Order: sequence, then structure tokens, then C-alpha cells
Amino acid sequence: MESRILRPTLALYTVAFLLFLYGPMIVLAILSFQSIDGGPQFPIRDWSIYWYQHLLGMAETSRVSQLPVGDSLIRSIILAFMTTVVSTVLGVMSAEAFRTKFKGSGPAFYLIILGMMVPGVLVGLGMALLSNTLGIARAWWGTSFVLHVVYTYPFAFLVMLAIFNRFDRTVEEASLSLGVSPAQTFRRVTFPIIFPGVLSAMLFSFTLSYDEFARTLFTAGRDLTLPLAIYGTFSVEIYPNIFAFGVLTTLFSFTLLVIYGLLMKRFTAKAARFTGQEDA
Amino acid sequence: MVHDLELISVGKTYSDGTVAVSDFDLKVEKGEFVAFLGPSGCGKSTTLRMIAGFEDITNGEVMMMGHNVTHVPPEKRPTSMIFQNYALFPHMTVRENVAFGLDVKGTPRAERDRKVDRILDMFDLEVFADRKADKLSGGQRQRIALARGLVVEPEILLLDEPLGALDANLRRIIQNELKLLQRELGITFIFVTHAQSEALGLSDRVVVMSNGVVEQISPPKELYRRPATPFVADFIGSNTVFEGIPRGAGAAGFGRLETPLGTFEGVGQGNETLAVVPAEAFRIAPLGTPDEIRLDGTLAERQLVGAVGHLKVRLPGDREVAVEVSADRPEVRALIPGAPVTLGIDPASVTLIHA
Repeated sequence: MESRILRPTLALYTVAFLLFLYGPMIVLAILSFQSIDGGPQFPIRDWSIYWYQHLLGMAETSRVSQLPVGDSLIRSIILAFMTTVVSTVLGVMSAEAFRTKFKGSGPAFYLIILGMMVPGVLVGLGMALLSNTLGIARAWWGTSFVLHVVYTYPFAFLVMLAIFNRFDRTVEEASLSLGVSPAQTFRRVTFPIIFPGVLSAMLFSFTLSYDEFARTLFTAGRDLTLPLAIYGTFSVEIYPNIFAFGVLTTLFSFTLLVIYGLLMKRFTAKAARFTGQEDA
Repeated sequence: MVHDLELISVGKTYSDGTVAVSDFDLKVEKGEFVAFLGPSGCGKSTTLRMIAGFEDITNGEVMMMGHNVTHVPPEKRPTSMIFQNYALFPHMTVRENVAFGLDVKGTPRAERDRKVDRILDMFDLEVFADRKADKLSGGQRQRIALARGLVVEPEILLLDEPLGALDANLRRIIQNELKLLQRELGITFIFVTHAQSEALGLSDRVVVMSNGVVEQISPPKELYRRPATPFVADFIGSNTVFEGIPRGAGAAGFGRLETPLGTFEGVGQGNETLAVVPAEAFRIAPLGTPDEIRLDGTLAERQLVGAVGHLKVRLPGDREVAVEVSADRPEVRALIPGAPVTLGIDPASVTLIHA
């Protein structure tokens, strides 16, 4: 009786919620197919891929100038990549350190976590003031990069902490007792087993850095990253080319997710076999 | 004489002051099979892990083949450890698992393959060599773990409840294999278990532990026949303990103890306060020899399990003792619950111990 009403209600609610969640993206995707003489709003005058061509420089751009995202896109990808590498390495190393309790591990834990808790605008402003005082030039690859690492490193750290929490230490001990050095044990036993976690940490770091805005705003200096460049175009006038760009970046993110999913599937299949060891 | 393994008053105290193990002394000869036996939390696994190098040793010293290894890391000790959960490498095939130790050490390929093939053959694992360990049963996985641990040719093999995760049938099979293997290889085995039957059935000597302290180190038979402490008397076999007042030495090697049920004579000095009587030392029909201890009681319960009769006899003072006799004796078959019984005990089978 209860489930006859409750279940459809919950289903409806979930569908509504998902629509609400993806509504902005759907609207954006529809508007990106606006015709050449249409504006950034409904109604759609005619369906076309003109704005995609415009974005990629394949259409005549005299009336509306091409979206200045080329360089900033490359900057953002390089920055996200650098951040991913550094944050993941730091995250894995510090999570490894936290597997054993050490003196001051409590305060150290909260100091690391603080990086994702403090408001981004404040940290950005602080960094700008600090670099001014020290006479360091602000740049996306310098001051912004440091803040991106401070911000994403706690996420990578927490992911790895959870992974190590479920990690069966005896496989490492088995390796050591075979006469294998701790370094080799990490490389050949520990790392392959925690690799799915490392992938998650990398995904977190990359996506968080790629669209980071608040921390970058005050610290990027003259050359802008992608989120800053897009924001900059808003202050002039909005054309549907920005929607086309939004759709393309979303596709890019989905591609990353699919790659992540495929890699995960490959490795968790192995992990599932591992947990299968316990029964039988 | 250089021992394979020597523990010199080894102890471990945690930083919060909890004592896990204290004053553990043990000398193990080459090729000996030693079992650490005790209830969970008694410190047997901690001691094994100290031998392996996984736990810090806070007191005493560990010697292996005459070298002090107290502060040597696990990978530099001549030991190999087998874990209860097998601890196989999930990302490797059976062959890769077994070859891992030699591989990392840079053993030449031909030699490595020869050794791996030989040990896979020894454990009947060639058929599975290229499979992942997950497709195999618990017993096969434990064999892989053994093959992996033995292929690096350790001087001492440490086994931490290696049969604990297997069902009873498989446990018996692997138990037999272990014993044969150990004889064949002639290397020292240190085996941790909480199962009496495993410890007593497999080992040359048993170390009984309780609360971080070694209670007794003896061959299995001795544990049954001559328990050294009240804990061992209670833990091993089925013993009845009588309390009394020491009454000095009797004949050579024997002592006397006066209990509310009469004077007991048994193996001891004569200053002990407890007499331990194994269930199978009671006789239903007293022989009438002059030094025999006699106790009068009534039969409370009789259970015949195959060839063994399990009796409960109520003695004066409302004590019930467990008695084990051969079930096909006519005098045992004739017993009816409630009937008077006289139990006889040979002093040679009684052990006097300190409380």
C-alpha cells in the first residue's frame, strides 16, 4: 500500500530533481544551435551549427569577434595538468604517512584539510597581497598554481586516505618478508593495488583546477585562464558562441570521465577478485 | 651450539604502558617445528610478528643463526611469513606471485624459472600457474602462499594461523602436507595457532602462552602428562585440579598434598598446593595397590562415545570430576547413574603444581 504511493512519488521527485540539476546545461546546449541572426535567448529562430563554426574560426567573424579562449584553454589545461601531478603525488605520499600515527598527526591533518575549507576569494586576495609585498610577479603558472595545489591537494589526500583505510597491510608485509625492500614493495605491490584511488585523486585534482575561479581571479596576473577569459567575455556582450563553447568543454569533461570510468572498471575488476579471496 | 632462533627475554610494551609480551625465552634448533598456542590476545601473534620484524621489540633480543637481528628490518631477516588471509598479490598470476621474491632480488631468469617450476610442481599448482589467485579455492590459495614463502629459501618459516580460514576437512589435509613438507625441507617452522589439535598434532614442541607470558614449553605429550601451571592444566586436555596443603616429599620424585578428599601423592617436590589429575588417569575399578589414591563418589552422568566413556562422578563436597575410560570394559557398561563409584588414581599420573 505504502510503496504503491511512495515509490512513484520518489521516482517523480528524482526525475524532477535531475531535470532541475541539468536544466541549465540543457538550455545552454539548445541555445548553442541558434542561427546566425539569433540572440542568446529563446526563441530559436533556426537550427544551425553556425556558432560552432564561429568558435573554431571557420566562419566569417566580422560582426561578432571570435571568442578569445584559445590561449586561455591551453593555459588552463597545462595548469590543471601540473596541479594534478603535484597534488596527487603529495596526496599519495601524505596519506601513506598518515597510515601510522606520528607526533603532531592531528594538527597536520587539519592544516592540510584547511586548504579546501578556507574561502577562495580570501586566499586569492591574500596571495596577491603577499606576492606584492615580496615583489613576486603574479602568474597563472606561479601564484595561481600554488593556490590550485593548496586547494586540490586536500581532496587527493582524503581520497587516498580512504583508499589506504581499506588497504590490507598484510600484502605489504608478505612482500617484505620475501626480502623485498620497502621501496620495491611500494612500487610493485602497494601502488598497483591503490591505483584506482590514484585515478580518482587525479580526476578530482584536474576538474577542480580546470574550472577554478575565485583563487585564480586575483593571482593569475596578465595571462588569463579559461574560467577568467569566459567571465571576461560576459562583461561585453553575450552571443551564442559562448554556449557552443560550453557544450564543447562539457563534452571534454565527459570524455575525461569516460576514460576514468574505463580505467576504473579495468582495475576494480582486479580489486573485486582480490576481495573475493576472503570468502570460500 | 648455534640455534636457528633464539629469543632472549623478549618483551613488548606499547607506548601507553600495556604489556603485550614479557620475558619470552626460547631456543629453537634447526629443523624444529615449534607451535605457539594460546587463547586470542595472549601475545602469540605479536611474538611471531616480532620474530618476523613487523613489530618493534622493546625488551630483550632476537638471535637468528647466531646473529642479533633485534633491530634488523623484516626484509633483511632469513624468515618468510605465511598469513591467515594468504595475503596474495591480487594483481599478479599464481606464477607471478610465486616468482615475485626471486624476481625482485634479480635472480637470473633460468634459475628463477627452474625454482618456480619446481615449487609449483611440489604444490600441484602448475595447472593454475597462469590464473589469478581469485579463481582458486582457499586450500589452493594457501598452497600458493606457502610456495611463495618457501621459494625464496628462508631459514625459518613463520606461520600465523595458516589454517584458520579453511574448513575442517581442508585443514586436516593441509595440516598433513605441512608436516610432511617440514620434514622434507628440514627448515625451522614457527607456527601460531589457537587450536590445540593443530599445535599438539604438528609440532615437536609447544609454547603455551597466556596474557603475554610463557606458561610452558614442552613436547605435546608432556603438556598432557605434566602441565606446569594451573593455566596449562585448565587449557590443555581435560584435567581435574584438587587444592590442598603441602605435606612434604614422599618417595623419590613424589610429593604429598593433603586435600579435603584425602591425601594425594603425585609427581612433585612436596611444597606445591595443587594436584592435577587428567580425566583419563581415573580408574573405575581400583587396583588396591597400597599407594593408590581412592575417592568415593556417585555416578552423575554416563556418555559412551564410540570407544570412549565420558563419565561425571560426584565426589563429597559437591565436586564433579570428568572421567574418561575405555567404554568396552564390563564394569563401565554396568554403571548406572546414581550408583556409588570408587575411583582409583595412580600417583605417577598425578602432577603437583604451584598455584
